[in-house]
Amino acid sequence: MFERRLYHHIDWALLIAVLALCALSVATIYAATFDPTHGGSRRWVIQMYAIGIGLIAMLVTVTADYRTFTDKSHFIYIAILGLLLYVLLFGHESKGARRWIPLGAFNLQPSEFAKICVALVLAKFFGENRGAPTWGDLAVGGILTGIPLALIGKEPDLGTAMTLVPILLAVAYLAGMRMRILGIMLVAGLLAAPIAWKFVLKDYQKSRISTFIDPSQDAKGAGYQQIQARITVGSGGLTGKGFKQGTQGQLRFLPEVDNDFVFSVLAEEQGFAGVLVALGLYLFVILRALEAARLAKDRLGAYLVLGVLASFTFQVVYNITMSAGLAPVKGLTLPLMSYGGSSMIATLASFGLVLNVRMRRFTN
Amino acid sequence: MAAPVEDRRRLTLRLSVLQYMITVLFSVLALSFWVLQVVQHAKFEEMAENNHQRTLALRAPRGLVLDRNEKILVENRHAYSISIDRERTKDLNRTVRVVAAVLGLDEKGLRTIVDRHRREPTYRPIVVVQDATLAQVSAVKARKLELPDVLVEEMPTRRYPETMGAHLFGYVGEVSDSQVSEANGLKSGDIVGQSGIEKIYNAMLMGEDGAKRVVVNSVGREIRTLEEEEPTEGHRLQLTVDYDVQRAIEEGFDQLGFNGAAVVLDPSNGDVLGFTSRPAYDPNAFAGGIDRETWATLTSDEDLPLNDRAIQGRYSPGSTFKMAVATAALQEGVITPDFKVHCTGSANFYGRPFKCWKKGGHGTVDLRHAIEQSCNVYFYTIGNMTGIDNIHKWATLLGLGEKSGIDLPNELVGIVPSPEWKQARFKEKWYAGETVSVSIGQGSVSVTPVSMAVYAATLANGGTRVTPHLLKAVDDGSGWKPVPPPPPRSKAPLDPDKLQAIRDGLFLVVNGAGTGHNAILKGYDISGKTGTAQVISNQGKERAGKTEKDLRDNGWFVFFAPRDKPEIAGVVLLEHGVHGSNAALVAHHVLDTFFAKKEGRPLPPKPEFKANLVP
Repeated sequence: MFERRLYHHIDWALLIAVLALCALSVATIYAATFDPTHGGSRRWVIQMYAIGIGLIAMLVTVTADYRTFTDKSHFIYIAILGLLLYVLLFGHESKGARRWIPLGAFNLQPSEFAKICVALVLAKFFGENRGAPTWGDLAVGGILTGIPLALIGKEPDLGTAMTLVPILLAVAYLAGMRMRILGIMLVAGLLAAPIAWKFVLKDYQKSRISTFIDPSQDAKGAGYQQIQARITVGSGGLTGKGFKQGTQGQLRFLPEVDNDFVFSVLAEEQGFAGVLVALGLYLFVILRALEAARLAKDRLGAYLVLGVLASFTFQVVYNITMSAGLAPVKGLTLPLMSYGGSSMIATLASFGLVLNVRMRRFTN
Repeated sequence: MAAPVEDRRRLTLRLSVLQYMITVLFSVLALSFWVLQVVQHAKFEEMAENNHQRTLALRAPRGLVLDRNEKILVENRHAYSISIDRERTKDLNRTVRVVAAVLGLDEKGLRTIVDRHRREPTYRPIVVVQDATLAQVSAVKARKLELPDVLVEEMPTRRYPETMGAHLFGYVGEVSDSQVSEANGLKSGDIVGQSGIEKIYNAMLMGEDGAKRVVVNSVGREIRTLEEEEPTEGHRLQLTVDYDVQRAIEEGFDQLGFNGAAVVLDPSNGDVLGFTSRPAYDPNAFAGGIDRETWATLTSDEDLPLNDRAIQGRYSPGSTFKMAVATAALQEGVITPDFKVHCTGSANFYGRPFKCWKKGGHGTVDLRHAIEQSCNVYFYTIGNMTGIDNIHKWATLLGLGEKSGIDLPNELVGIVPSPEWKQARFKEKWYAGETVSVSIGQGSVSVTPVSMAVYAATLANGGTRVTPHLLKAVDDGSGWKPVPPPPPRSKAPLDPDKLQAIRDGLFLVVNGAGTGHNAILKGYDISGKTGTAQVISNQGKERAGKTEKDLRDNGWFVFFAPRDKPEIAGVVLLEHGVHGSNAALVAHHVLDTFFAKKEGRPLPPKPEFKANLVP
């Protein structure tokens, strides 16, 4: 299965960049959760374990031919739907949401793996259809994406659910979806926005959006995190306040410092210089993965790469924008950086697939 | 085979579009971070500092107040205040509700306090409890997480260790809105003197608040101190007051139980040795913010305990006024000390009988004995001869009907009538019969106790109208600097021989057959004069019949000692004290204490005398 010569085609640059981001993650979590009064927290250690498990998962997704995964994608899809249903019914409830399956040492978050699964199933579906996707193809793709999306949204975890949409859009786009169709969808989306505002969105979601537009209208409530995020990032300056020296993060003016706002802490302590390094690494990883899609032996591989890359990129861009207080606050983590085992494992596994596609560009 | 190639080209093209889009997106992100972190850095850095740094005011202790022998009269104690920091409040209503419940306070009252300060800048915490009990402090501290916006601060609070001289020391309280706008140095929430020397020397006593910059976390817990600027304690003040003399006055009043006032001076320079007004209040009740109930009790009390009778009470001087009449008659050459009048117990002037207090009369008396016996007929006669204008002139020169100029706020002025005064006040002509009443200190004469003390001092020192004053020295931190006594208000050109005749009479009042016998102190030549002033005319008393109101006469005693080289002079007034001889009891205890202290003898014990209540 794994031929020796394939080893020479592994994209070491991409792998190193991904590992560099992992290292940055451990360091930032260490700093963000450092509590001198309690002798530090163990979260950075747990994150290291997650990276370790993630690398094993990566090994698995690299070793087998990616076509094996896409061929079995319908089984994987059904398994994931089963897990999502299980979570909804029996999942661990925390802060009013059921997102996790407790597995002793840590909680498994199936929605993180649903992203890979959707990428696999869409790659297979659009890969089998030659020619530009028709309305019918889009409808099938929409249903394939919509079912897990609805299940995740029901948890509720709207943030993660929305990350499935870019997968569909990206794969369909690459499969040759007519620009006109994209345009129609865009217009329909714009038209639907006011209706969604009125009938679909819940009050807390509306207030998040309206406070984003004017955070000062609720400086102590919903706008608080956004204002604090800007202060955190802005006060970092060019070179930052220094490792573990950030006042905003250390003194907990910003919540979720190891999670949603981990990038704010990085920006505060390492300054604009650190931000440029992190942004550069992410950009490199994304462009390098796009390169893998371009080099892919078949359309299936290209679609698969773009599929996993789409939710990754969407999340990276959104989270970084949010951590600078420039987007409404939403519970979206920063892949490869935020504290969270499922996300780390799923992300590393998906990069295994990217490496896989590139590595096997010459095989039959 | 054509289709896949075509397909491949489109795929590559679309990937390139994505590539560019992503690159642009990341450039925009980098640019945004550059704007936030580099361009707007200063603004956000300041905001971050405001977030985690808090400046706490360190209240400066007010300066200590000491007596003339450096015994502490007013000091400070540690108290805890509880306040709400609105910058950390997410829901002020909720905080008010919880704080009221936690502290056991009335929610409505708390809301009123908060509303009163609502328009102040939010960074200034609103003090809701000034002097919290330990139970309240620990209740708040236990709910630190629930109430991150509630602060407990230690602040020095005034303490008056002895229940004495309430009106003299005055009290402190939160600065009022009008006071804030008046004086620049005062900010809302400051504790300032509101009466007494606390008020008049507030600027010296206040000191300068310090500040402490601390790092706090998001729930307001202090993490560490960045810098601390120590508060500067207010200047220490040394008063002219002698603790033991003051104590003696208070003991005398405590023993007799009358309302009234007393002022004791050093006649040579106007040093106030003791000063009281009764009924008194407890200045400690104000120090930590007076509660509504206590305030209501104080202000609605018919006895007006907040009134400083020593400088604001105006009373008929009665017989104590006779020295002024005698001075006028002697100095204007109307009589000599040997001028005699025959008293039969009553005399007619302008068709009206004027009674002497002694039914059978005093017989023939000269000035010395008229003063000793307090013969009314003698003074009716010489007053009538001297005329109201001369009486007015000399009484004023002796300090009556004038402000004493004491360094206490809101002194009122008494009245020594004259035809001009009556014309201006009532638009009426002066009647000669009024002069007769005025001659024995009745009618429209009214004086404040402090002016009576000045009067006694002026007679004692030979005519110098000293200015009573309380401040002896100030220590601004660099050691005591004496404060020179204020210059005398005026000097009455008294002929020593004529004055001596009056002083002989005053000596006899105490040491002869006079009414001031209660004040006698063997070897110290106490001189003095009682006065028993009606609060209502005899006819009025009859008309009033049985009434709840206290219609008993006021009792005065003015004094100085020793006769030839006076070191102490003063006045005691007992409201409804029935007779001036009762006031002399208090004076006796004061004088006894003064001389015992001066000579290093043991001080006299707490007096056990009783007032004679038979009119």
